[in-house]
Amino acid sequence: MLDCGMHMGFNDDRRFPDFSYITQNGRLTDFLDCVIISHFHLDHCGALPYFSEMVGYDGPIYMTHPTQAICPILLEDYRKIAVDKKGEANFFTSQMIKDCMKKVVAVHLHQTVQVDDELEIKAYYAGHVLGAAMFQIKVGSESVVYTGDYNMTPDRHLGAAWIDKCRPNLLITESTYATTIRDSKRCRERDFLKKVHETVERGGKVLIPVFALGRAQELCILLETFWERMNLKVPIYFSTGLTEKANHYYKLFIPWTNQKIRKTFVQRNMFEFKHIKAFDRAFADNPGPMVVFATPGMLHAGQSLQIFRKWAGNEKNMVIMPGYCVQGTVGHKILSGQRKLEMEGRQVLEVKMQVEYMSFSAHADAKGIMQLVGQAEPESVLLVHGEAKKMEFLKQKIEQELRVSCYMPANGETVTLPTSLSIPVGISLGLLKQEMAQGLLPEAKKPRLLHGTLIMKDSNFRLVSSEQALKELGLAEHQLRFTCRVHLHDTRKEQETALRVYSHLKSILKDHCVQHLPDGSVTVESILIQAAAPSEDPGTKVLLVSWTYQDEELGSFLTSLLKKGLPQALS
Amino acid sequence: MDPEDDWLVESLRLYQDFYAFDLSGATRVLEWIDDKGVFVAGYESLKKNEILHLKLPLRLSVKENQGLFPERDFRVRHGGFSDRSIFDLKHVPHTRLLVTSGLPGCYLQVWQVAEDNDVIKAVNTIAVREKEESLWPRVAVFSSMAPGVLHGARLRSLQVTDLESEKTTYTTDVSDSEELSSLQVLDAGTFAFCCASGRLGLVDTRRKWAPLENRSTGPGSGERWCAEVGNKDQGPGPSIASLGSDGRLCLLDPRNLCHPVSSVQCPVSIPSPDPELLRVTWAPGLKNCLAISGFDGTVQVYDTTSWDGTGSQVEPLFTHRGHIFLERGRMDPAPLVTTHTWHPCRPRTLLSATNDASLHVWDWVDLRTSC
Repeated sequence: MLDCGMHMGFNDDRRFPDFSYITQNGRLTDFLDCVIISHFHLDHCGALPYFSEMVGYDGPIYMTHPTQAICPILLEDYRKIAVDKKGEANFFTSQMIKDCMKKVVAVHLHQTVQVDDELEIKAYYAGHVLGAAMFQIKVGSESVVYTGDYNMTPDRHLGAAWIDKCRPNLLITESTYATTIRDSKRCRERDFLKKVHETVERGGKVLIPVFALGRAQELCILLETFWERMNLKVPIYFSTGLTEKANHYYKLFIPWTNQKIRKTFVQRNMFEFKHIKAFDRAFADNPGPMVVFATPGMLHAGQSLQIFRKWAGNEKNMVIMPGYCVQGTVGHKILSGQRKLEMEGRQVLEVKMQVEYMSFSAHADAKGIMQLVGQAEPESVLLVHGEAKKMEFLKQKIEQELRVSCYMPANGETVTLPTSLSIPVGISLGLLKQEMAQGLLPEAKKPRLLHGTLIMKDSNFRLVSSEQALKELGLAEHQLRFTCRVHLHDTRKEQETALRVYSHLKSILKDHCVQHLPDGSVTVESILIQAAAPSEDPGTKVLLVSWTYQDEELGSFLTSLLKKGLPQALS
Repeated sequence: MDPEDDWLVESLRLYQDFYAFDLSGATRVLEWIDDKGVFVAGYESLKKNEILHLKLPLRLSVKENQGLFPERDFRVRHGGFSDRSIFDLKHVPHTRLLVTSGLPGCYLQVWQVAEDNDVIKAVNTIAVREKEESLWPRVAVFSSMAPGVLHGARLRSLQVTDLESEKTTYTTDVSDSEELSSLQVLDAGTFAFCCASGRLGLVDTRRKWAPLENRSTGPGSGERWCAEVGNKDQGPGPSIASLGSDGRLCLLDPRNLCHPVSSVQCPVSIPSPDPELLRVTWAPGLKNCLAISGFDGTVQVYDTTSWDGTGSQVEPLFTHRGHIFLERGRMDPAPLVTTHTWHPCRPRTLLSATNDASLHVWDWVDLRTSC
């Protein structure tokens, strides 16, 4: 099972996947060999504790190390919002999250993991967020690659997705990627900078609620770079909770960040910026412009909410929400356009500050998917979360440009793919030499017909010459000899007939060895032709043509040739 | 700090909004279908080209509360394949039909944009009066109860073909072989033409060929001209702009095409590397404002309010340099803007495309009004 996400648009049971699609009866643990989680976003892991602890699954759950570390934090945050803030009943508990994470097996990049004696998986770097991976799933020589969410261009703190030419039978990816043309990263950054700059220029304060391991790092680097370039003196702060957590995780997972970060990290602490300082609660009341990064990201509690309450009433200020907010949070409410919020104790907060929703998540687009398919070279591509009936042009484009088959199943639909099975067979050196001796050079693009004997022992396939096979198996070779009778109208004696046959064949078969033996028979290579006179009819002669299986072709040719009759005698 | 970063910082002051996209193939076409979508089409000669219907990012197309819409990406809403290169594309208003023109100039292709799926399908062709090898027919659409397509590569081959009946409903009946460069429908019965030589004319199709036109094309031959007629809302003053490949821009009043109201010299790099790409457009939402492109990788915006006289040098109100600075390796050749268009509703928003497949959407700041 690939991923186990929460549908963020629903509040009731429809937010969880319908696991009866996997099996109607019987335990999921018996049906699934393993579960793979691609990254820590809630629409990919949000239903995991529900799945494993409430529906019931005890098998292994694979994910990368950063995902394993970060998932439980996000799940707990989400649980708190759903249960404590909204009083949800049918939801997983903190203990369930813990129990679920006990089933997790963490994997490293490019590490082949044997799930069982048939199934193996391997994780590839996907960019997108810290710890995000694409997974290759292999059984024998058949394989599937699931991309999860990925990004083909590096950003300021993560690298770009990469996969080798693994040639899977199938590549599974999102259809959103194929129908989008993405605005450049520069322009997104520009928009963010512009909004921040305009706000501080007019003396306002900018609040940016972030999750410690989301875009905070990226945005801090961006602001630092431009504050330096534009020689700005307006203070930028981030809350201490942010620094500690972020530093801790980035230190753990430094190989997951990009080159630039790794270089700077060696020299100093990740959050040691020239222009960005640690925040103190008291600063929120300071007059004048400032920019503050504070957790948590959805304004649902803690420091970011505190600051928000202080600054919301001033229209000069701005709050920039860098990501999706779950329903029930203040973040979600203001992004829906709500301007009057009911806080604890029936207090109403009027939101006069500007609200900006910006998306910084790194996703691939149509160009990106072409690149990835070009790297992996799958036989087929399967797009999920689109509407196949509506996507004929897209299907054609992918099939034409990438020369792969394209599938677009609807939710609940089963797709069956024919795969070209390739069975690796070892060819003996002797057989190869034999083939080469025939003089024909091998051609890279043309399949070559090889004759040999296939010996299957245990899981070993070997192709050897027939002679070697006979020897190894201690068998004697059978000889097959064909004999054919050709009737000729000839009144002469059989010796003369034989001579005529010899002359005739000698003149035609210039490339072959034609001989007239002392006993009157004619040979062409190993083929023997003897003339006989049947007692009943002196005007008819019978030619007995016999050949071995190896000379089948020549034998057939000779027979049809002789059946045409002999030319009139030339003296 | 690299020049790209420098330009980005400058851009904070110069643009209200700025979006940059990479298309899979360069386009010479930017045609609006309502105010939320545009068509682009490829013009390569040796491979299949795509026609795409792109839906504008939500952030651009919503009228209020833009800040609450984070989406900045184009969506490919429809697509189709063309074996020929496409140099012009026109949408037939109030229908789901498109007409395209390209090389070789033997016919026009009619396409249908599907309703229930994402396909743009070729449905029909329109024969041209005179087959040409290296010229492609200009196209304009008369939209009415029975839409008609005005097309032709030369003055003598101009005709109107009724889309449904495929019958020819108008011809010029002249033997003039002058090559056309722009064609524009003005209302139900009149159209404007501009020849490559600079000859301009306004034609009433309900009368025999007797266009109001200018005969004197000005000194110096060898330049190539194009023109655009502004709409009635431009205000008083000259509503026809004519642009030459030597950088001259003439403003004319339709009542007197023989004497331009003003003629200025634009500061552009001349000669234009591809004069066929020259384009001049009037801003639909601003008075006396036009844009030009086709000389290099920039688009220039001019305020024509105080223009008068002849030969004066003018300075653009705004120059879009994004195509030159953004996302380009040092070894890349300089880009050339292939086409540009104004957003129908947002007064200072333009779209521009280049020969290296970039597409920009930009909303420039009028620095005269901001302090």
